[in-house]
Amino acid sequence: MEIPHCLVMESLKDWSKDKSTLLSVVVDDDESVRESLPDLLKEFGFATRAFSSAEAFLSSDCIDQTCCLILDIAMPGMSGPELYQELKRRGKQLPVIFITGQRDEKIRTRVLKQGAAGFLFKPFNDADLLSAIKTALQAA
Amino acid sequence: MKEQLQDPDREIKRLQRCINDLVSLLGLPAIWSGNEPSQIVEMLLDALLNMLDLEFVCARLNDPATAAPVEILRVSDSYKLRVSPQDIGVMVSNWLTPDGEMSLPTATGQFAENTSMFPVPLGVHGEMGMIVVGSQRADFPTQTESLLLSVAANQASIGLREAALLHEQKRIAHELDRRVVERTAELAATNEELRKEVAERKLAEASLSQAHAQAVRSEEKWRSVFENSAVGVALADLNGRFIATNPVFQTMVGYTDDELRQLTFLDITHEENIEQNRSLVRDLLDGKRQQFQIEKRYRRKNGQPVWARNNVSILPGTDRESRFLMALSEDITQRKLSEEALARARSELAKVTSITSLGVLTASIAHEVNQPLSGIITNAGTCLRMLSADPPNIDGARETVRRTIRDGNRASDVITRLRTLYSKKEPSPEAMDLNEATREVTALSLTEIQRSGAILRYELAEDLPPVIGDRIQLQQVILNLLRNAADAMSTIDNGPRELLIRTEREEPNRVRLSVKDSGVGLTPQAAERIFQAFYTTKTDGMGIGLSVSRSIVEAHQGHLWATPNDGPGSTFSFAIPCNPEGLAGGEPFVNRDPSTDAA
Repeated sequence: MEIPHCLVMESLKDWSKDKSTLLSVVVDDDESVRESLPDLLKEFGFATRAFSSAEAFLSSDCIDQTCCLILDIAMPGMSGPELYQELKRRGKQLPVIFITGQRDEKIRTRVLKQGAAGFLFKPFNDADLLSAIKTALQAA
Repeated sequence: MKEQLQDPDREIKRLQRCINDLVSLLGLPAIWSGNEPSQIVEMLLDALLNMLDLEFVCARLNDPATAAPVEILRVSDSYKLRVSPQDIGVMVSNWLTPDGEMSLPTATGQFAENTSMFPVPLGVHGEMGMIVVGSQRADFPTQTESLLLSVAANQASIGLREAALLHEQKRIAHELDRRVVERTAELAATNEELRKEVAERKLAEASLSQAHAQAVRSEEKWRSVFENSAVGVALADLNGRFIATNPVFQTMVGYTDDELRQLTFLDITHEENIEQNRSLVRDLLDGKRQQFQIEKRYRRKNGQPVWARNNVSILPGTDRESRFLMALSEDITQRKLSEEALARARSELAKVTSITSLGVLTASIAHEVNQPLSGIITNAGTCLRMLSADPPNIDGARETVRRTIRDGNRASDVITRLRTLYSKKEPSPEAMDLNEATREVTALSLTEIQRSGAILRYELAEDLPPVIGDRIQLQQVILNLLRNAADAMSTIDNGPRELLIRTEREEPNRVRLSVKDSGVGLTPQAAERIFQAFYTTKTDGMGIGLSVSRSIVEAHQGHLWATPNDGPGSTFSFAIPCNPEGLAGGEPFVNRDPSTDAA
């Protein structure tokens, strides 16, 4: 099992440390999300990549480098939760924060039970996202 | 005479002896009393034989019953010659007339050389017969002997007559007795028969009265059933005239029993039901059916209609009675009114909800607007951070602002489109391109489709002719089908989620649109049920979508149906004519009123 680069850092208690080596990946089929979120993550200090589908991410070369995944739930083809299961199956342990446009508490409960690190309803503000990412990485 | 005077002693002795003999003879009848004729005669013959010292004496008695006389013969022991009654009979026949009477009262005959025979008639004319005496003495019979013979014959006659009389008496008495016995037996038999008859009659009466009592009880029971039945019961003859009705029926139709007896059931049946009712009764009487049910209206006496559900059958006849019609009649006016009210309410609801599906509208807006909104907030947050950075990232901020404006416009477009789709405009038909309408709608429900994780494909026919119809209404239908397809696939996670929209031309002048999903699919039973109003599998849906969609399609003179796929899922299709009858582009489209459809 490969340990992502971000876990090499003993702790992220010091948020001011340079995170530019940490890769945050956004997977969402909505173009506006793929445009706006990576900029925000860059402002947070992360390196970032965006993919339009779960399949695109899986066939990419940055799975192992990813230390945090921001994942849309509803997507054509493989859905967010399905991608999460697939990553688990492949033995990739990485914190996943789900984002979704549908107000469905059932889905939220379900994915959190499956071990998601975070869950945000769209629209969310930048502070909430940051807080979720922090929690996710510190828990890892 | 001479010899008599010569010897007076001898004469006296002879006369004495004669008187003794006479006395004896005279005493004979007393002895004879009760004896049979033959006994009498035998006794007499014996007496004569001795008295007169005859050689033989033969009696020939006429028997009225037989032609041949009874012959009794006595012969003296000392007589040498053989003599038989037949011999005598031969001689006697010379003396008889053809009638059997003595022709010569003083006839004599010669039996044998030295034996002469003399007949002595019995009865005044010899009708009883005769005695024939035979003697060898030359001087036979002397005076006294003749006298004795006469007296003997007389006595014999008397005795025989008495015997005959006695016999007759006996016979009569016997006959009487016999008749009495017979009569008594007859009477006894008759008596016995009468007694039996009486007993039988009594028995029959008893069982009759028992049966009668039973019948009365049974009749009471059935009458009670009839009178107290909770449904109306009416009996009519084969012409339909009422014979008997129970109180429930009378109350239902508002007539008394007497009034109903003047009427036939068709007289009080609502005009609109008469023909059907008449036809069913005809079938019943012809034997084409054993019974029938009919929901019909009666006209009450006051003219008001009342709905009834009738079960009608024939009561078979007996020898004495012909068949009856019997109707069990239940008042269903309440139910009918409720049904009609429900139908009206449904159509109202459908009308209302076909124009505004508030819940759906809200959800649409929420879904469609959420994405751009989300983008706006993210971009704005990013913008602030960029501007707060040291140094501020002006280019980056500018980019975020640009995206914000674009997303804002996107949201606005969605609102406008939704508003247009759900506006309360009057339906107006126009020539429209179904493909274009489809694309508009799918753009609107894209997120919902994406929520289901489905892949959307189009197969829109290029040569699709324009269709005259109400754009908004048809888009509603397409939207409904797309939503349902998305929902059907939302729970599928072990297979592909494919949504296919296809339009095609149907000969001769129709277009068809199909929405095919790979979702949970339909059972054949569900395939029709889902089109019923209020049917839904959604816990929060109203389930009016398909029912209303179908009525919209049918208002366009098309039809809407669902079929299961060969693979997973189902396909919903509607087909409409390009030029619905009676419509031209621009004319107001008169919407079919669902409430009149329900009648």
